[in-house]
Amino acid sequence: MQEKKDAMFSYQFPDGDRRLAFSRQSSFRHSHWDPPLPSPSSTPIPLMPRSHSFKPHLARSDSAVGLPLLDNSGHKDATWVALILAPVRGVANGSRPMKRLALMISLNVAYSMVELLLGLFTGRVGLVSDAFHLTFGCGILTFSLFAMGISRKKPDETYTYGYKRLEVLAAFTNALFLLFLSFSLAVEALHAFMQDESEHKHYLIVSAVTNLLVNLLGVWFFRSYARVNIVYWKPEDMNYHSVCLHVLADSIRSAGLILASWFLTLGVENAEVLCLGIVSVAVFMLVLPLFKATGSILLQIAPSNIHPSAFNKCSRQIASLEEVLEVSQARFWELVPGYSIGSLSVQVKKGVHEDRILQHVNGLYNDLGIQDLTVQIDYE
Amino acid sequence: MERHNSPALASHSQVIEVNIDIDPDRGTSSFPPISNPSPTSNNKACRGGTCDLSYSKDSPERWDSMRKLVIAVVLCIVFMTVEVIGGIKANSLAILTDAAHLLSDVAAFMISLFSLWAAGWEATPRQSYGFFRIEILGALVSIQMIWLLAGILVYEAIVRLIHDNGEVKGFLMFAVSAFGLVVNIIMALLLGHDHGHGHGHGHDHGHGHGHGHGHGHEHTHDHGHSHGHEHMHGHGHEHEHEDQEHDHDHEANTITTKHHHGHSHNNDMKESLIKKGNKKPKRNINVHSAYLHVLGDSIQSIGVMVGGAVIWYKPEWKIIDLICTLIFSVIVLLTTIKMLRNILEVLMESTPREIDATQLEKGLCAMDGVVAIHELHIWAITVGKVLLACHVTIAPDADADRVLDEVIGYIRRDFNISHVTIQIERQ
Repeated sequence: MQEKKDAMFSYQFPDGDRRLAFSRQSSFRHSHWDPPLPSPSSTPIPLMPRSHSFKPHLARSDSAVGLPLLDNSGHKDATWVALILAPVRGVANGSRPMKRLALMISLNVAYSMVELLLGLFTGRVGLVSDAFHLTFGCGILTFSLFAMGISRKKPDETYTYGYKRLEVLAAFTNALFLLFLSFSLAVEALHAFMQDESEHKHYLIVSAVTNLLVNLLGVWFFRSYARVNIVYWKPEDMNYHSVCLHVLADSIRSAGLILASWFLTLGVENAEVLCLGIVSVAVFMLVLPLFKATGSILLQIAPSNIHPSAFNKCSRQIASLEEVLEVSQARFWELVPGYSIGSLSVQVKKGVHEDRILQHVNGLYNDLGIQDLTVQIDYE
Repeated sequence: MERHNSPALASHSQVIEVNIDIDPDRGTSSFPPISNPSPTSNNKACRGGTCDLSYSKDSPERWDSMRKLVIAVVLCIVFMTVEVIGGIKANSLAILTDAAHLLSDVAAFMISLFSLWAAGWEATPRQSYGFFRIEILGALVSIQMIWLLAGILVYEAIVRLIHDNGEVKGFLMFAVSAFGLVVNIIMALLLGHDHGHGHGHGHDHGHGHGHGHGHGHEHTHDHGHSHGHEHMHGHGHEHEHEDQEHDHDHEANTITTKHHHGHSHNNDMKESLIKKGNKKPKRNINVHSAYLHVLGDSIQSIGVMVGGAVIWYKPEWKIIDLICTLIFSVIVLLTTIKMLRNILEVLMESTPREIDATQLEKGLCAMDGVVAIHELHIWAITVGKVLLACHVTIAPDADADRVLDEVIGYIRRDFNISHVTIQIERQ
């Protein structure tokens, strides 16, 4: 029995036989309460390789799910200092965009604190409302930052697919916030239209200019994402794009306010309504593609980068095999951009060896871009 | 989800090909009857249609929830029009603001209604898991709106603080928010605790849960406890709520003790499944999120009422108004945290709380012929609909078919997971 277990063990951490897509994973059985073993294969294979363009490959040397090891920085000390320092440490060790985002968030927070205090002490409502607005935005950006930090964790028992989804979720939240923003700007425009009074006073201009500058800095940091339609290769793409759109929308809003007050001084009637309306529509159009893309991932819609006819073709190819009777229940979904998962059920004749079929099916779908496939073979 | 029959199945001399047109939008998801229904249709694979990935059109639970929500929407709109008219006549901003809050209630109900309606759509090849996820996203949007509203209320309190006396009439504030509170309570009763009977009206007078009357933090916990069953949608499977918290401490000692219980625990669970089967009431997540919205609103109305009373009684103590509003906003946020956590877990494709993955794995490994399990993924489409996929390595001489049957049967029986995909590999 022991030799059998040893043989199994070496099978689970294979040196050879990595041709088979499905034999690369370590069993849950062996990984929980053993200390993290120095596996023969060099490093724990991450959920997504950190190469910059994750194209579907034919070589199956990347595993689908990383070894569920404990997080290396085992924060077992639950002291308050450690808890507070953890995010700081996380950011300091983080990637460059993370650091930039953290910088921007701190700038924004500082600025909104100043604005809030000023507004409270001098009794100017406009400043207070602006400060609130900024604070909300900062909260959402902090969530994005948090998602960036935590997404590098290895998958564990509860989160068997890892933490990358959080980035998509953060992008969705950002997009949602921007939609709310555009809606509230529209309401404000309507309000100004009905009330017919000019709410702009000069102190708001200073605040708007500062806001614009800070946000333009943010746009500069994330300038490669300053487009409306982007093809997403990795999950971080979505997050960065959403952050960029957020600061872009904020700067458009500030610019709109500045423009409106300038037009007012020029004597243009209803300038405020016009500007706010244009800004609202602009933000809405900016955000819509991102919202749709993140929404469709969260809704488990089939991978968008693969045409539905390709799935059909694969199905037909499999069904045309001699031993295969039927292909059914083929379902596919995207975990994060660039990583798709699927499951299907194949009916085969009795006595057929499953290895060949598994290999064939896996190969077919791997070429399409489905990294993780579970195939259930039913015998007739 | 489509099926392709290989020509080998046809017993005629001609090749029979079944071509199904895939309409990427919603199109044909009900399959044309195949001329040669497979003689092997056992219940391993899920034949035809949507196999439980959408509500059947006449599900009583669905109609019940929809009816409740529609009544709530109608009530809300009626009250809102009353307030708007009253506000315009009295030229008071406070009344109009409250009408805006009711408008947000209507929006939340609309979202829930839409999610319920969408859950009845049949799955399409593009949306192969059905449309249940929409209700999760809808609940997320709803909760973000609650947070937004809480922030707006705090902002208003600060504005009241800044603007000195003239514009704020304490009495008016008090009266308006009292009216809003009554409306919200009516709706909370309407949407509220439904113990699985088909109540259309929901004027359940027996529910002395103390809705919204200043129980503050303890109210949250009360709901915390009764919300334990919201995970158990349509499962007979249950864990006690307290146990849930322990199950998911990722501590090594918890895991090892589970392994000692192993088989006997299995038997206990089977018995408890049979015994307590359907006693836990199911609450629809849509109705629940609408309920949370209304609850949050009523808590906030109380806060505004208190503030109004303070300003009315002693106009100098304005700071109390702000403090009150802050406290009540925090309370509202606390009530949403539980649902937010559920939503987050579903959206992150994590193992649902009610499924004990370690035990499942242990049970599977203990089976005859099974050598190892890997790549076990258990995730949920929405709270209560769970799917499982895993790779099972079997001994070289084992019968793959039999092992497959056993495994699927075990998972279905003991964990009530019906959508299972098992990849059998030989060692």
